[in-house]
Amino acid sequence: MPSAAEVAWLIPVLPLLGAVITGLGLISFNRTVNRLRKPVAVLLISCVGAAAVLSYAVLAEQLAGAPPTEVLFTWASAGNFSLPMGFRVDALAAVMLALVTTIALLVMVYSDGYMAHDKGYVRFFTYLALFSSSMLGLVISPNLLEIYVFWELVGMCSYLLVGFWYDRDGAANAAQKAFVTNRVGDFGLLLGILGLFWATGSFDFETIGSGLQNAVSSGVVPGWAAVALCLFVFMGPMAKSAQFPLHVWLPDAMEGPTPISALIHAATMVAAGVFLVARLQPLYAPFPQVQATVAVIGAITLVLGASIALTQMDLKKGLAYSTVSQLGYMMLAMGCGAPVAGMFHLVTHAFFKAMLFLGSGSVIHAMEEVVGHEPVLAQDMRLMGGLRKHMPITASTFFIGCVAISGIPPLAGFWSKDEILGVAFGRFPLLWVAGFVTAGLTAFYMFRLYFLTFEGPFRGGDKAMAAQLLAAAGKGAPEHNDHGHHADHPHESGWQMAMPLVVLAVPSVLIGLLGVPWNSRFGLLLDPHEAIEAAQHFSWGEFLPLAGASVGISITGITVAVLAYALHKLDLGTAVAGRFPALNAFLANKWYLDAINDKLFVQGSRKLAKQVLDVDSKVVDGVVNLTGLLTLGSGEGLKYFNTGRAQFYALIVFGGVIALVVLFGSLG
Amino acid sequence: MDANLPAAAASFPWLSLIVLLPTAAALLMPLLPGDGSDPRAPRTLALAVLAADFVLMLVAFSRHYDPALADLQLVERVSWVPAIGLEWSLAADGLSAPLVVLSGLVTLLTAAASWNISRKNRLYFALLLVQASAQALVFLSHDFLLFFLAWELELVPVYLLIAIWGGKQRQYAATKFILYTATASLLILVSGLALAFNGPFTFNLSELAARSPGGTFGLLCYLGFLIGFGVKLPMFPLHTWLPDAHGEANAAVSMLLAGVLLKMGGYALLRFNVQLLPEAHVQLAPALMVLGIVNIVYGALNALAQDNVKRRIACSSVSHMGFVLLGIGAIDALGVSGAMLQMISHGLIAAAMFFVTGVFYERTETLSIPNMGGLAKALPITFAFFLASSLASLALPGMSGFVSEITVFLGVTANDAFTVGFRVITIVLAAIGLVLTPVYLLSLCRRVFFGPRIPALAVTGDMKPRELLIGLTLLVPTLAIGFWPRLAIDFYEASTDALALQLGIG
Repeated sequence: MPSAAEVAWLIPVLPLLGAVITGLGLISFNRTVNRLRKPVAVLLISCVGAAAVLSYAVLAEQLAGAPPTEVLFTWASAGNFSLPMGFRVDALAAVMLALVTTIALLVMVYSDGYMAHDKGYVRFFTYLALFSSSMLGLVISPNLLEIYVFWELVGMCSYLLVGFWYDRDGAANAAQKAFVTNRVGDFGLLLGILGLFWATGSFDFETIGSGLQNAVSSGVVPGWAAVALCLFVFMGPMAKSAQFPLHVWLPDAMEGPTPISALIHAATMVAAGVFLVARLQPLYAPFPQVQATVAVIGAITLVLGASIALTQMDLKKGLAYSTVSQLGYMMLAMGCGAPVAGMFHLVTHAFFKAMLFLGSGSVIHAMEEVVGHEPVLAQDMRLMGGLRKHMPITASTFFIGCVAISGIPPLAGFWSKDEILGVAFGRFPLLWVAGFVTAGLTAFYMFRLYFLTFEGPFRGGDKAMAAQLLAAAGKGAPEHNDHGHHADHPHESGWQMAMPLVVLAVPSVLIGLLGVPWNSRFGLLLDPHEAIEAAQHFSWGEFLPLAGASVGISITGITVAVLAYALHKLDLGTAVAGRFPALNAFLANKWYLDAINDKLFVQGSRKLAKQVLDVDSKVVDGVVNLTGLLTLGSGEGLKYFNTGRAQFYALIVFGGVIALVVLFGSLG
Repeated sequence: MDANLPAAAASFPWLSLIVLLPTAAALLMPLLPGDGSDPRAPRTLALAVLAADFVLMLVAFSRHYDPALADLQLVERVSWVPAIGLEWSLAADGLSAPLVVLSGLVTLLTAAASWNISRKNRLYFALLLVQASAQALVFLSHDFLLFFLAWELELVPVYLLIAIWGGKQRQYAATKFILYTATASLLILVSGLALAFNGPFTFNLSELAARSPGGTFGLLCYLGFLIGFGVKLPMFPLHTWLPDAHGEANAAVSMLLAGVLLKMGGYALLRFNVQLLPEAHVQLAPALMVLGIVNIVYGALNALAQDNVKRRIACSSVSHMGFVLLGIGAIDALGVSGAMLQMISHGLIAAAMFFVTGVFYERTETLSIPNMGGLAKALPITFAFFLASSLASLALPGMSGFVSEITVFLGVTANDAFTVGFRVITIVLAAIGLVLTPVYLLSLCRRVFFGPRIPALAVTGDMKPRELLIGLTLLVPTLAIGFWPRLAIDFYEASTDALALQLGIG
C-alpha cells in the first residue's frame, strides 16, 4: 500500500473532480442540477472530506518523521528545455493541507445553512470545491512556476466568489478590483520568477536559493539585481496577503458571501503569500535588505490595518482590516527570519479568524431577518447590539475569538503573537514597538466589535438610523416586497452554522499550546533544529517580561473598550475623534489610499487609453490609409472607396494580381 | 527534380482531398432547391461537408502523419501550369498541420454558428466552403505561387461575407479590409518573385529555403514579407482594419477572422520570413520583438478605450497576437514554440469570445457597452461562457493562453543572444500587458453582465443546446491544452525545434 504522501496528488484532484462534475452539470442541465442541492452538497463535501482524511494521514506521517516526498513529471518542453511539474509533500505542506481541508470542510457545512435560501446554492458549492482544489494544489507545489499557476487559480476563485452576487454593483466592482490588484502583484511575481530562472536556470525552491547565492558570489549576477529579483517575487505575496500598499482589495472583497470571507479572505488564500515567503526562505535568508523590507512592509501593514479597524462601523469590514493587520504580523515574522513563528501565527489566526468571520456571518444572517437583505443595513453595527441574548452560541464563540486574537493566555493568539513580538524585539526593536502598540489596538477594536454587536440594547428597530445609513450609501429604501414582514428580533442560526463555530472554538483556545516556547511541537515539526535550540535557550527571565508587557497592553486595550462601549464611561467620540478631526478623517478614509488609487491608476489608465485610441483612429489609421492609397497611386481607389462600389474594386485588385502573376510567370 | 524533397510522397492525396472537398461541395450550392430564404438545405450541406473535411484532417494527421518528424509529410507535387512554373505542391509539417486542424474546427463551428442567416443562404454557405478550401491551401501549399493564389483567393469570400452580411458600416469595413490586404499582397508577391528569380527559377519552398539569401537583398525581401504578412497578423501600425472588420462582420465571420485569418499572418511569418530568410530574421528579430511589445501594450490600451464589445475584443486580438511576434522574434526553440501555441490558443479563445458575443447580440441587438448591464441575471449560461472565455483570454493558468504566453516569456528570458538589458525591458513591458488584459476584459464583463438588470434590455432565452455545443467545443480544447500542453506541443514541437536549430539557436 502506498504511503499517504505518494498519493497526495489526490488531495487537490478529488475536489477538482467534484467541481468539474457539478460544473458541467450546471452548464448543460442548469435547472435540474440547480434543484439537486443536497446531493451536490453531499458529493462535494465528501470530496473535500476525503481530501481532509488524506491530508491528516499525510500530516501524521510527517509527525512520525517521514522524509519529504517529491514527484515530478515533464509538463511542457521545447528544444532542450523542459518544465517539470508535480507535487512536494513536506512538513510545511502537510500543516497547510490539514489546515486548509479542515477549514474548507467546516465552511462547506456552514454554507449549507448560510446559503440555504440562495438561488446560487449549487454554483456556490461548485466554486468552493474549485477553490479548495486550487488552494490545496498551491500548498503542494514543488516549484515557483507551479505555485504561480495555482496562485492565479485561487485568485480566479476569489474573483468568482467575491462577485458571486453578480447583480450587485458593489460585488462586481470588488471582484474586479481584487483580480486586478492581484495581477499587479503577479506582474512582479512573474518577473521575479523569470529573473530567477535566468539567474539560476531553475524554478525549484532549494535550487534557486543556492543558485542565486552562487551567482552573486561568482559575480554573474550583481548583488542589487539579486535583491531586486527577490523583491519582485515578494510583490506576489504582497498582493495576495494584502500587504501595504496592495491591501486595498481585501476590505472590498467582503462583498462576497461571508463563508467566503472566512475561508478565502481570512484563513487560507490570503495566507498563501505568507506561506510562499516561508517557502522562499532559502532565497531570502542570505539578503538582509530583503528581510528588512519584508519586515518593514509587514509592520506598516499591521499598523495600517489596526488603525483603520478602529473606526469601522461595518462588522465585516472591521474584521477585514483586522485580517490585514494580522497578516502584517505574519509578514513581520518572515522578515525577522522566523518563518516558524509566522507560520504558527498563520495557523492560529486561521482558526480564530475563520470562527470570527463565520460568527459575523451568523450575526448578519440573523440581522437579515430583521432589517432585510441590504448589506448596508445588515452589516452595520449601529443597528445591532444586544445580540448575546438572542444568539448565545454565536456570541460566546465570538467572545472566545476576541480573547484569542487579543493575545490573552492561554488562548491561541497569545502564543503565536508573542513569539513574533519576541523575535521582532531581538531583530528590529523599532518594529517591535509598532507590533506592541498594535497589540493594544487589536484588543481594543476587537472588543469594540464585540460590545457593539452583542451587548447593550438591540438597535435593529431604529428606522431613522436605517434611513440615514441607506442615504449615506446612496441607496433608496429597500424593496420590501421580497420579504413581506420582518422579524422584530434576531434568532440563533441552525446547527449547520452553529456546529462549525463550536468546532472552531476548540483550536482557537487550545492550539496555541502546541507552540509554547519551551516545548514547541509546531517548531519541532517545521524546523526541529531551531526548535530544540530555542527550547534549550528558553529562560523564564526573558519570556515573562515581554509576555507580561504584551498581556498588559492587551488588557489596557480591552479596558478602554469596556469603558467606552460597555460601561459608557468614556466618550471616545468627543475625547479623541473630536479633538483630532484630521486623524479621525484620515482613518475613516482608510489613509486615503483608495482615493489615490482611483485618481492615479483607475482614472489615469482610462485617460491614457482614451488618448491612445484617439491617436489610433486619427493618426495611425489616417497615415496608413494615406500611404496605402498613395502607394496604389491612383485616384480611382479613392473614387470607388467613396462611391461604395467596392466589390468592383476588389475584383479589379484581385484580377490585377492574377494578371501580374501570369505576366511574371510567363516571363519566367 | 524531387531531389530536394526531404520526405517521401504520399500514397494517397490526403491533402488535396482536404483542400478540394469544400470547394467541390460549394459548386453544388446553386443546385439546391428553394429560393435561398430557407437556410436549412445549404446549412446542412455546408455542415456535413465541413464536418467530413474535419474528419479527413483528423484521420490524415493522426494515422498518416508522424508528429515526431520535423520533415515535410504527405507530400504531393504535380506540375500544374508549367509555363509559369506553377505546381500543385502540397505538404504538411508541424507548422502547418496544427493550424490546418484549428482552421478546420473553427470553420465548422463558424458554419454552425451561422444557423440563423436569413439572406442569400446559398451564397453565404458557398462562400464559407470556398474559404475553407482557400485557407487550407494557404497552410498546405509548398509552392510560393500556389500559396499566393490561395492567399488572394481567400480574400474574396471574407470580403463578401463582411460586405453582404455585415452591420451598418459594412461597406467601409469590407473595403478597408480588402484595400489593406490586397495592397500588402503586392509586397508579398514582389518579395516572393524576387526570391524566385534569385538563382535558378523556382517557386518550391524547400528549394527557396535551401538558398536562404542574406545581405541587403535578403533584408528587403524580409521587409516586404513582414509588411505583407503583418497586415494579416495584424501588426502595428497596420492593424486598424481589424477593429472595423470585427465591428461590422457578423459574429460567425468574426470567429473566422480571429480564429483563422490572423493565424495565416503568423504562419506565413514563420514559413517565409523565418524559414526562407533566417539570416535576415536573426538580424531583424529585435525589431520584431519591439513590434510585438507595441502590439501587446498598444492593443491593450486601445481595447480599454473601446465602447463596442466586438471592437474591444478585436483590439485584444491585436494585443494577443503581439505575443506571436514576440515569440517569433525570440528566435529560440521556446519562443517559436510559444508563438505557435499562442496562435492555436488564440484561435480557440478569440473564436469562443466572438461566438458568445454573437449569442448575446442575437438577444440584445446592441453591442454598445454603455447601453448594457446586468445580462448575467437573464443569461446565466451565456455569462458563464463569456466569463470563461475572458479568463482564458487573460491567460489564466489551466487554460491554453497561459501556457503559450509563459512559454514566450521563458523564450525571451532564456535567449542569451540578446543583451540582458534588452530582455529586461522587453519582459517588463510585455508583462504590463498582462496587467492591462484583466483590466479591459473584466471591466467588459462587469459592464455587460454584472450589476442590476437594465429594463431596456428585455432579454429572454439562454443558450440553446446547439450553442452550448459550439461553446464547449471551443473551450474544452482550451482547457485540455491548459492542463496538458503536450497535447498541442507534441503536434508541432519537432518542427519548431528544427526551425530554431536552423536559426542557430537550439
